[in-house]
Amino acid sequence: MASGGNDDVGSKHHNIMNCSSSEMNPLCDKVDGMPKSISISMYNKPLNSSDPFLGSGWDPIVSLSQSESLVGSSMVSHGEFANFHYPHLMENQGICGTSHFSQYQSNPSFVELVPKLPGFGSGNFSEMVGSMSLPQSDQVANIRGCPSYTLNHEGGVERASTNSTQSREDRQISDGVVGAASNGKCRKRVPESSHNADGEPQKDPSRESCDVPKRQHAMKQKTEQDTGANSLGKQVTKQAKDGSQIGEKAKENYIHVRARRGQATNNHSLAERVNCRFHIERTMFCVLNFILNPVVFIIAGEKGKISERMRLLQELVPGCNKITGKAVMLDEIINYVQLLQRQVEFLSMKLATVNLELNIDLERFLSKDILYSRGGSAAVLGIGPAINSSCPFSSGIFPGTVPGILSTNPEFPPLPQTVLDNELQNLIQMGFRLEFRHG
Amino acid sequence: MDLHNLNPSSLKSRFTTRFLRALTEINARKPIASSSSPREIFQRYRRIKDAADTSMAYSVRSRRTWSKATLWRLRTPSHRRRLASFGRRSSLNKTRTTTTASHRGAVVVQITSRGGGLGVQLEELRELVPGGEAMDLCNLLDETAHYIKCLTTQVQVMRTIANLYSLE
Repeated sequence: MASGGNDDVGSKHHNIMNCSSSEMNPLCDKVDGMPKSISISMYNKPLNSSDPFLGSGWDPIVSLSQSESLVGSSMVSHGEFANFHYPHLMENQGICGTSHFSQYQSNPSFVELVPKLPGFGSGNFSEMVGSMSLPQSDQVANIRGCPSYTLNHEGGVERASTNSTQSREDRQISDGVVGAASNGKCRKRVPESSHNADGEPQKDPSRESCDVPKRQHAMKQKTEQDTGANSLGKQVTKQAKDGSQIGEKAKENYIHVRARRGQATNNHSLAERVNCRFHIERTMFCVLNFILNPVVFIIAGEKGKISERMRLLQELVPGCNKITGKAVMLDEIINYVQLLQRQVEFLSMKLATVNLELNIDLERFLSKDILYSRGGSAAVLGIGPAINSSCPFSSGIFPGTVPGILSTNPEFPPLPQTVLDNELQNLIQMGFRLEFRHG
Repeated sequence: MDLHNLNPSSLKSRFTTRFLRALTEINARKPIASSSSPREIFQRYRRIKDAADTSMAYSVRSRRTWSKATLWRLRTPSHRRRLASFGRRSSLNKTRTTTTASHRGAVVVQITSRGGGLGVQLEELRELVPGGEAMDLCNLLDETAHYIKCLTTQVQVMRTIANLYSLE
């Protein structure tokens, strides 16, 4: 059974489903002992159906614990519990619970935090979270036989999230074991140290008295249930608090305040804690992403974009080919934009003073159109040498109505006219014709 | 270029059509008399300038922040704009993380220098480009490039029209 779960460390937790529930029983015995992983794997099965969020949470935990130890753990028996597959936190996905468990058991330090956010597989967050919580190393709580974890994906996640001390883990485990069924009353896990800062007094005694096998069964059945999750969550949260991570602590405290699911008021409810934790971590993840990503983006990636855009602008602004440097380039850009805006104003002033007489225009435009269609010959009608010329302000031979206007353009250097001028004039003629036709 | 190469849906054609229509309308509303006072001419100038900006912004069809800002500026009466700008100013000063500029734009916001040696120039650029107050550098450069392209088109068309008209 363990094999089933062990196969793919990185596989979805549903893979763990392979473990048969029947195997649990024998494993239950081990819960207290070392290789609880097996039992855990069994619990993983139900996890699949449940909240994927929780399931993914396992991964980080596993990775955390992996880094520490597990080598000699009996968990190894699980084979591939891929304990060592994921050193990084947000492995996400599907680490079979068993693997998690195995690791937990062997690792006294339980890494927490973790990636509660299955969806976020980005490494950033996990790193962040990891840094916040106690990454890997001694954090990994020993999940001794926390089959309960497997029960709920929530539980699994919770485990990973926090544990600075073994005792906490034990608590978690025991809580988990107790599982869903009880609100963590029976902590079967042998509490290595009942010095849970969280002060779960009830857990300690319950831990001792809990009947592992019973719990496991109960837990199994409750995998999906929130209660189990709550208990696990509580465990986790509790451990988190004890953990050295202040962030975790904050979360913990926050969790206490925010009764999210189910046994909201019951701080010791693992499931509740897990859920709370998830929410919190999720939001934290979002926040962190939001904060960090832009920074990272700006530092690493955006500079490339900016220089890329500066190049584009360089091409647009005439005469900027040789300029290197943002400041000078920006100056040029600003000057050019100002120049263009001034030109628009000047031209609109010019148009305001020009007497728009469509009657005359029509004939002229028609003739111009004809001219253009013939290849844009020069002013046959004596209308527009200026039109065809590249100099916008050329005062050609024309029935000057407002020659003064043309002469008032000293500030505008002849702009480079594109070859589209002819096209433009065609357009305008067409436009005029249209206007004329429409009345 | 002959007529066949004209792209009827290019920015230039769109702008030209709209602008000519607006011009005709302005001219029809108040034909220029030989004895127009400078004030009238100034009003005409303002109307033509607004028409040019609006037709260009319309041609871009609000795909760009600057076009939205221009349209908003030209549509919203100034008193409402001032009210809106107050809120914008305060929010702008708080965070610059918004990448999309609010389209309430043309009011020049007192922009505090945001850092780096490019601070002053960036502010200037933001003032120049409509709607650029609330954008980060990357998007601002994008908008500036598009804005420059549209401005050059506008200038070209207007110049040609002015030439055509003035040659009559």
